Amino acid sequence: MELDYLATILLSSLSSASILLIAAMGLAVVFGLMGVINLAHSEFLMIGAYAALTVTKAGVPYILSIPIAVMITMSIGAIVEMLIVRRLYGRLFDTMLATWGLSMFFMQLVVVIFGTSTVSVATIPQFNVSIGEYSLDGYRLLMILVAALMFLFVYLLMTKTVYGMKARASIQQPEMAQAIGIDSNRVNTLTFSIGCGLAGFAGAILLPLVPATPTMGLAFAVKSFLAVVVAGPVALTGTVLTTLGLGGGSSITASFLSSVIGEVFFFLITALLLWLYPCGISAKWRRKL
Amino acid sequence: MKNYIIKSMFVCGAVFGASSTFADVNVGAIYDVTGSFSIFGVMQSNAVKLAIDDINAKGGLLGEKLNLITYDTQSELSKYTQYANTTVLRDRPAVVFGGMTSSSREAIRPIFRKANIPYFYSTLYEGGACDKQTFVTAPSASQQIKPLVEWAIKKYGPKMFIMAPDYNYGTISALWYHEYAKQFNGEVVGEDFLALTVTDYTPTIQKIQRAKPDFVVAIPVGPNQVGFLEQFTSAGLKDSIPVVSSNYSTANEQVLLTPNAGKGIVSSHVYFSSLDNPENKAFLKKWAEVYGKGQTISPEAVTAWNAVHLWANSVEKAGTFKSKSVYTALESGEINFKGPNGDVSMEPGSHHVKQNTYIAMGDDNYGFEVLETFKAVAPSYENQKCDLIANPKLVKHFTPKA
Repeated sequence: MELDYLATILLSSLSSASILLIAAMGLAVVFGLMGVINLAHSEFLMIGAYAALTVTKAGVPYILSIPIAVMITMSIGAIVEMLIVRRLYGRLFDTMLATWGLSMFFMQLVVVIFGTSTVSVATIPQFNVSIGEYSLDGYRLLMILVAALMFLFVYLLMTKTVYGMKARASIQQPEMAQAIGIDSNRVNTLTFSIGCGLAGFAGAILLPLVPATPTMGLAFAVKSFLAVVVAGPVALTGTVLTTLGLGGGSSITASFLSSVIGEVFFFLITALLLWLYPCGISAKWRRKL
Repeated sequence: MKNYIIKSMFVCGAVFGASSTFADVNVGAIYDVTGSFSIFGVMQSNAVKLAIDDINAKGGLLGEKLNLITYDTQSELSKYTQYANTTVLRDRPAVVFGGMTSSSREAIRPIFRKANIPYFYSTLYEGGACDKQTFVTAPSASQQIKPLVEWAIKKYGPKMFIMAPDYNYGTISALWYHEYAKQFNGEVVGEDFLALTVTDYTPTIQKIQRAKPDFVVAIPVGPNQVGFLEQFTSAGLKDSIPVVSSNYSTANEQVLLTPNAGKGIVSSHVYFSSLDNPENKAFLKKWAEVYGKGQTISPEAVTAWNAVHLWANSVEKAGTFKSKSVYTALESGEINFKGPNGDVSMEPGSHHVKQNTYIAMGDDNYGFEVLETFKAVAPSYENQKCDLIANPKLVKHFTPKA
């Protein structure tokens, strides 16, 4: 096996894992941290992509469309939290049912507004990098950096800021948090909307790689949910590890064997890990996040 | 209790029976109007509606008004059998149009066979479906893949790489590419089958670079096709390795792509909206009047439109809506229609249609330039294997190795 081929496989598998991490980060906050099962989560990713696409079409540079997409998804997230999720805290099945319905609603809403297929835009960055005889999509490699920065941002936000402490307090000990004067309802709304904003960010930043379609969220939904579930209670660091292992591993398997075996690898290892660690791989870690 | 059930069944039967006596002639349509395959389903469902309205506006069929009943299968396979049974039992339709994936067609085909209702399928597919009740107006592999392979090997060279979705359409089509590669002295230097859930094509793209083919055959379905071409282009490969496809443009994938990624993709199909003939102009005008301007019409809208008109012609020839006489008419070899894609005619034995195949190249403005026209291409494989006149009891799905 030539060195350049090996290097391309490693780099591209790392980028595949990074893309999965980008898609799963919002879920790590909403599900991993808050424990809310939001089945409409991947639709926020789709909304982010459509938001970025729409403003880019209106003439806004692509790079500026990303913060706009984040703001839009954060606001929708806050509304959803106040109208639906807040009323169902602690009612697992009701939350699942409500957010599942919501996901169908969003999907059809986008079909009604934009139609089943949407024209893409030419202003999205495309460049490539070559390694030896092989060439790779440069934007895709950039995602490794984006994923690292995204993780760092969320990690520092949750551990080093006052908001982060309030957020964790409101989730872990809501009554105690309220007793010392934290408006835990408002903090929870913000945390949920940050999770949705992260999904929106993912949709917008992945737009050059994954075309915006009403059902694009589904492609990420299953794998990112599994990655977060396998990660367990130490949601953020755990998710980094699982996306690297599962996403990267399945990409390497697909490169050497076949795409089908790559998929099989992902789900088989997931099943195996959940069998070994029913509460997630981080169940016995002594870290906080 | 037993008596009660039987009695109530009689009552139900009477009610349904009565309603159908007074009602118009029902026409069933089963399409994925919502969900991930709506990208295909909406076009076909709209085309069927347009055709039925067109016939009704001209005074109906045999003096009767046609009543279209559309079911939305929501891109879920289980809904197909459910709604196929519903339409058979409740609507007693004279004909049913529908189906999208090959798996959905295989799911509902037996239901219409049992109910003995003519069933028209108009989505391009791998070919080989054969039974008395099924009629296919979409191109099969022998009509689409054969001209494409012949053309591409002549143009680019013998070595091809195949990437296909991992279900019956993809795997059987890949067998066809192998078959025709052999026939035209080509060689398959690599292939990769991808599950429908895969969105990351880098492993495939690396395999393609490693195999160094003269051209790539890419037949993923819908959004997956778009994702693959986008990633293939961003990896900077499109300029060195040409891409050909026998299903690209089926769901208007070209409008989803960035114009740069769509440029130069070669597609073989039975219809492109840029075709210059009076029927196409009239069809596009009618479509724009009803559904609005600026839509790109997919080939399957045209094959669905043709399906309704071929059926209507056969009913007129038969002089009745009765299934048996309609089959006889459809098998007469005299059922033709001048469609937006040129002349189409029903092949008597195989229940597939003879039609033109066009090889076209995408431009950077979501359009296609027709490079070559293969006139009146017969579904040669189906004609050879499937003769429902000589053998009316035949029920099979022929594949190249079966």
